[in-house]
Amino acid sequence: MIVCENLQKRFGPTLAITGLTLQIPDGQIFGLLGPNGAGKTTTMRILSCLIRPTSGKASVDEYDITNESHRQKIRAMIGLLPEVPGLYETLGAYKNLDYYAQFYGVPKQKREDNIKATLTNLDLWDRRHEPVGNFSKGMKQKIAIARALVHDPQYIFLDEPTASLDPEASKTVRDYILELKKRGNTILINTHNLAEAERICDTVALVKNKLVKVGNPKQLARGLFARTISITLQHIPESLLKNITSLTSVSGARVDGRQLILNVNNPEEDNPLVIDWLMKQGLQVQFVSEAEHSLEDVYLKLIGEDERP
Amino acid sequence: MRKDLDEFRKQKLVIGSIVAMPLVLGVVMPLVLFVPIITMAPLGDVWDVEGLQQIGTFQGSSLDPWTNQTIENTSLQSQTIQYAILHNVAAENCVFFSCIIDNSEVSFTTIQESVCTGAYLENVTMVHCEGSQLDGRNILAIDSNVTFSKTKASEAQQVIPMMLNMVLMIFIIVPATLPTIIASYSIVGEKNNRSLEPLLATPTSDGELLAGKIFSSFIPSMGATLLAFLLGIIFLDILFIPHVGYAPLPTLTWLLCIFLIAPTACIMSVLACVIISSKVSDVRAAQQVGGFVVMPVVALMLAVISGFIFLSPLMIFVVAALYGLLDIGLFYFARAIFSRDSILEKWT
Repeated sequence: MIVCENLQKRFGPTLAITGLTLQIPDGQIFGLLGPNGAGKTTTMRILSCLIRPTSGKASVDEYDITNESHRQKIRAMIGLLPEVPGLYETLGAYKNLDYYAQFYGVPKQKREDNIKATLTNLDLWDRRHEPVGNFSKGMKQKIAIARALVHDPQYIFLDEPTASLDPEASKTVRDYILELKKRGNTILINTHNLAEAERICDTVALVKNKLVKVGNPKQLARGLFARTISITLQHIPESLLKNITSLTSVSGARVDGRQLILNVNNPEEDNPLVIDWLMKQGLQVQFVSEAEHSLEDVYLKLIGEDERP
Repeated sequence: MRKDLDEFRKQKLVIGSIVAMPLVLGVVMPLVLFVPIITMAPLGDVWDVEGLQQIGTFQGSSLDPWTNQTIENTSLQSQTIQYAILHNVAAENCVFFSCIIDNSEVSFTTIQESVCTGAYLENVTMVHCEGSQLDGRNILAIDSNVTFSKTKASEAQQVIPMMLNMVLMIFIIVPATLPTIIASYSIVGEKNNRSLEPLLATPTSDGELLAGKIFSSFIPSMGATLLAFLLGIIFLDILFIPHVGYAPLPTLTWLLCIFLIAPTACIMSVLACVIISSKVSDVRAAQQVGGFVVMPVVALMLAVISGFIFLSPLMIFVVAALYGLLDIGLFYFARAIFSRDSILEKWT
């Protein structure tokens, strides 16, 4: 488990992050979301024992990140994908990974097995001896991910893992991250890709130099927005919008093409009443579905609110 | 370290310059300089005493000065001595007539009808004298028969030791210069590639990382220098052996320099580059600023070539010890700078 308590980091007069308190349970995919300069990378670097916090506490697997003798152990448990791949461009993919595995003290046979498995999973085994300087951005990113995993770390920190990847490669990486979760790894992801975070993260923390909100993406949306249903009708008469708001179960309504979008308090109870009322009006209902708010909506609302004075 | 060396092997242009520099400076250049000197002024020929002028021919078979006194172990100043045996005397501004002068130093003096053996003569006029095993300078010998056992060295003999010293200094400067190329790539290059962050995220300690960086610059620099040193010795010996009859290199001075001063100078340069790397973020800037690193070595070179310092074994130990102390100081300074926090916060 990763625990942060009132973590703060200053770079001279600039406050990168303050008052960050959160817990990341083992086996979760945890997303750190926020705008540029929100302190996401700084948080990741603090937890990776690359930089020290100005104040506050944090621990990884109960090892204190401020304790000098613990810091080396923590680094050995973490696989880090930094913001920029930072590969040795003149060396081949295999050598890049092999050197890193040696830095982590992985025995020779295990190194070979790990490198083969990781590069095969990321579709790069056949090009393992080519200098990585010749590779595309996406391939470099994949190798950087492979490098973070070459020593079988328990904790995997990924800073923008699918940045600069094409949709197919992004999916490969996402699937691989989900596979790592299945193996029991704890994964911390910094990302701007909200759709991706929504898809793979168990918990997300919205940060903007401080913790804005933390929770499951769906729960966050439900906590912030009224529940919405979308009813597709064959045609929508002009008077409908005015009349339907007279129903007590409907707190708001709008029309989008042939879709009637209603805010209701409890869809499970209110939907049958609404449908019954519509049918009594002589309207033909084609589809009914619950319109869910995306993580993007949550992000824009929370970060937007935070930006307003 | 192995990663750096492996990466370095791929930089063919850098390797080329690193191997070429010592070879050109330590092998090709000395050969180009030495070949004309050796061929134009052969080492075997010696020149006359400096300022010797012989006029006339010696009349008579031999002199037999009549003497009635012996003067020895003393200094003579502005005196006229005749019919005496002078032994172990230092004389100045004197006139000697019909004397035997043995094992003495004589200057600004006129010697007439006398016999000299084993004397050092300076600014002396000899008239109708005999002499052997003499040494000195500015001698006017009129109607005399004098031979000198010690003679002025040939121009080649005078120039070659100085040039050999210069070549030796090249083998000190080269290992101090090469790390400015390699260390710039291995540290500043790593900053530019942004490959420091994943490296620092490994459990490797700061000291291990620093040691790796030092050795990955030190090994190729000293390797290239030793290669050039070996080739330089072989080629110069091949050049000298026909003229002097033996292999003059390597001397003890050369061996001590290459195994004591060169490594300490090299480490000094590497450490200075590490420190410079903390302040600059461009390979070219690091190399340019790194040029100043060789200043202590250039100072040594100038001191040796100008004759201010004679590179005796003791002096080599002193210089190596000074460089070693400087290395220790620089290491602790670099160690303080080379910490993860400062690298990520200030270097990138």
